[in-house]
Amino acid sequence: MNQATQAAGGTAAAVLMLAMALASGPSRAATPPPAEPLKATVSHWWTSGGESAAIRQFADAFNAAGGKWIDQAVAGADQSRASTINRIVGGNAPVAAQFNTSRQFRDIVDQGLLNNIDDVAARGNWNAILPQTIIDVIRIDGHYYAAPVDIHMPAWFFYSKKAFAKAGIKEEPKTWEAFLATLDRLKAAGVIPLAFGGQVWQEKIVFDAVFAQVGGPDLYLKVYRDRDLNAIRSPAFRNVLVNFRKLRGYIDPGSPGRNWNDATALVVSNRAGVQIMGDWAKGEFSAAGQVAGREFGCFPGFGPKAPYMVAGDAFVFPKTAKPNVVKAQKLLATVLTAPGPQAAFSARKGSIPIRPDVDTSQLDLCARMGIAIMQDRARQLPNPEMLLEPDLNGALQDVLTNFWNRNQSPEQAQQAFAQAIQDNTW
Amino acid sequence: MKRDVMREIDLPPVRRRPRSRITPARIGVYAFLVTAALFFLVPLYVMLVTSVKPMDEIRLGNIFALPLSPTLAPWHSAWQAACTGLECEGIRGGFWNSVWITVPSMVLSIVIGAVNGYALSFWRPRGANLLFAVLMMGAFVPGQVMLYPLVRALAAVELYSSLPGIVLVHVIFGMPMMTLLFRNYYAALPEELFKAARIDGGGFWRIFFELMLPMSTPVIVVAAIMQVTNIWNDFLLGLVFAGSDHLPMTVQLNNIINTTTGERLYNVNMAATILTSLVPLALYFLSGRWFVRGIASGAVKG
Amino acid sequence: MVAAAPTRRKAGCTAAYIALLPMALTVIGAYVCTMLWTARVSVSSARIFPTGDFVGLGQYERLFRNARWLLSLENLAIYGAIFVIACLVLGFLLAVFIDQKVVGEGALRTVFLYPYAMSFVATGLVWQWILNPELGIQRVVRQLGFTDFTFDWIVHQDKALYTIVLATVWQASGLVMALLLSGLRGVDEELWKAARIDGIPVWRVYTSIVLPMLWPSLSTAFVLLFVMVVKLFDAVVAMTQGGPGTATEVPAKFIMDYLFGRANIGLASAASIVLLATVLAIVAPLYYARLKAQARGHA
Repeated sequence: MNQATQAAGGTAAAVLMLAMALASGPSRAATPPPAEPLKATVSHWWTSGGESAAIRQFADAFNAAGGKWIDQAVAGADQSRASTINRIVGGNAPVAAQFNTSRQFRDIVDQGLLNNIDDVAARGNWNAILPQTIIDVIRIDGHYYAAPVDIHMPAWFFYSKKAFAKAGIKEEPKTWEAFLATLDRLKAAGVIPLAFGGQVWQEKIVFDAVFAQVGGPDLYLKVYRDRDLNAIRSPAFRNVLVNFRKLRGYIDPGSPGRNWNDATALVVSNRAGVQIMGDWAKGEFSAAGQVAGREFGCFPGFGPKAPYMVAGDAFVFPKTAKPNVVKAQKLLATVLTAPGPQAAFSARKGSIPIRPDVDTSQLDLCARMGIAIMQDRARQLPNPEMLLEPDLNGALQDVLTNFWNRNQSPEQAQQAFAQAIQDNTW
Repeated sequence: MKRDVMREIDLPPVRRRPRSRITPARIGVYAFLVTAALFFLVPLYVMLVTSVKPMDEIRLGNIFALPLSPTLAPWHSAWQAACTGLECEGIRGGFWNSVWITVPSMVLSIVIGAVNGYALSFWRPRGANLLFAVLMMGAFVPGQVMLYPLVRALAAVELYSSLPGIVLVHVIFGMPMMTLLFRNYYAALPEELFKAARIDGGGFWRIFFELMLPMSTPVIVVAAIMQVTNIWNDFLLGLVFAGSDHLPMTVQLNNIINTTTGERLYNVNMAATILTSLVPLALYFLSGRWFVRGIASGAVKG
Repeated sequence: MVAAAPTRRKAGCTAAYIALLPMALTVIGAYVCTMLWTARVSVSSARIFPTGDFVGLGQYERLFRNARWLLSLENLAIYGAIFVIACLVLGFLLAVFIDQKVVGEGALRTVFLYPYAMSFVATGLVWQWILNPELGIQRVVRQLGFTDFTFDWIVHQDKALYTIVLATVWQASGLVMALLLSGLRGVDEELWKAARIDGIPVWRVYTSIVLPMLWPSLSTAFVLLFVMVVKLFDAVVAMTQGGPGTATEVPAKFIMDYLFGRANIGLASAASIVLLATVLAIVAPLYYARLKAQARGHA
């Protein structure tokens, strides 16, 4: 090519490029260029119909914000977490994985296998808006390692209005003694007073409910947080155990091994009066077409200062340096904790949102009650899994299930409790 | 007289029609079998009945009662509408994944088991028995204990989260029982057969393919039953090693049945379980034609 | 001819070694290495991930102070004995009776085998319902009029284990039946004819001739059942979750709990090693005796 042709070609190319730039210029200002969506493989254990509808809120919000939610659910909380850990080990970790807001992922943080989301936390002002009990668990050594998505209360008292009416009970009991009297009246009316499922974790939930209500938050924290052996051996703790044992007189003979759903079914069908269970039980009531305040009632404890146990779920972000994945993680953390998705999720999940500045109109009666209680910081009580390692939590479950199922004396249980705490080396 | 009897036996084995004598012994046989069958069928009855009841009836707790308003919606839901996470598409998604995992794993583990059993029982190379003993000890190790090291090992050779990886894992876990099965079966065959074949000039592989394998049909059927059932119903290994593109049907089944704090639809759960088990069940029913008598004896005389 | 035989044997032996290579690789690479790794972790304080430290026999000490572990071993022994015997007897009877040229053999065989095909997560729940006094058999029989009938083993500490036996025998007998049936079908037709000609009663044929000939199938079935006993997990989780309390705790569930939920792989590894050692202690003498008998037989 001679110089003239080259010059002509170059000019033509320049003119062409200028024309293209001018043509796309105004449109660039009007609509952003279609970017590649940020893919996020998300591992969790929410697989029932209600839970699926709830997580769809997060997925839709994430997709709308420029992400692509790739669902990798595994039912069974233990199995889901085990699958996540194996995937981290095998180098095929999901972008985000569900854990409980608890000490379950402490070991993973200590091994340096999680990315932190400090910038998302700073932007969202988590220090100010999240409950302290949650911050204590997700902020380790000053860094935020998990995005909390909900607050569940594991110790609600649900009751069937028809069963109460049959026993002539006009109002919810306001004290523990009144509660026991209510159970007596249910028994006299031929209704199973307490719908109970004899599985280890359910026994622990009922025990913790009694512990918080009868023992009080101070004793509770002394035992679970401070691991104070004197508190365990004290008469106050003995009293808690005695009252826990009292509930055994109000369950039916078919309770051992029963799934929690089958116990809720007893309340739904008005064959039992009360069930002590977490607020996820509302899902079973909804599936049966029952509404809080109409066919069933709920109260979180006794008295205006009754403690409100805080538990919940959070997503962690396995360590990676790939820039697109890190971007996806940050986007996900932002979406999961934003007010809109929080409201939509909790309305379908039966939980309460992690932040107070959320539209609560879609939430049911019990959830609204819970949100009002959460305003009072003094009533927030961390659940045992926030304070105990999974190993020690399990060992205490063993102690309590033996106390419940065998004829042990409260003193023996106190002794075993203390022994379990001392045994928990490493 | 004896010669006639022998000639009669030389005929290929034929399924005789049952002779219809009604003796007390015969009645006893049928009585026992029917009673046993009833015992075995009770749980299936409960499962079927539960799978066609609406949840309201199930909540009443009458597990043996026939449904008042039967419905096939749970079956439809189990196959294509039940929620398994974000998607609500039932268990059908994983069907072909399960097939792609089960068929190669079964074939490979049976072939390897047969070769192992053959080598161990006829050739007996030195040190093989010790190897076999250690292999059998391995059968007692709970699979979950082996997860972590296997994940690390497979990740190191880039087989983690892949179809070849899960097939390899199933072969590894199936090897003890398959080897035992074939070894004991071949140990029961007459040694004269083998010696005669050696004298005829057969080598290791020739004897295996032309003599032993054709005689192994009953044990292959049992091995297939065991492997298809174990692999088809396996959940944990598939979850950990297959990778998200090849997740077997059992993962969806687990997601439907095993919700932790979600509501449980027992009718859908029962329907899903029965649907998942149809493949092994079909195999059991169809395997009948190979449970015939006298395969080995035919070879001895012939 | 005689001179040629040794080289042929050598060639065959080489082929045998090559053929056994996958097995050798699996044993050494997968099983031995895993057992060594497990042993290493069991002397460390690992929680979720392996740590490199060394704590001596501390995990083992903690293990044997754990009442739940000791109970699980005891449960396994009781359960194992009853389960293996029940399955062998029931499986043998089923195989023998089905072998009598009955009508509908295919259907019957499927009826006895279908429990094995089904995931125990669902069937275990069904058994829990059937055995629950408020939902199942006790309720139905009482409704029929026998108001004093009780069948509530599953809610009693000392009897719940037998319910697990019941459900797992239901599940496994079919497989034992299939194994023994394939063995029975390998028995010479000629043998039956000869026995009939000689006038031996049928039951005598079974006990004196058939049973010994079934020995390989029986021994396979025994090992299979023994493995099922040691690995017993799904049934316990689906039916009783180890309860009531810890009454139906078994070692495999203990190990699983500490491996995953309770995040203590050090303790779980120690438990696995102890379990393996217990199995070895039981199996090794039997195996040694069998080797001796075989050697005598070949000599």
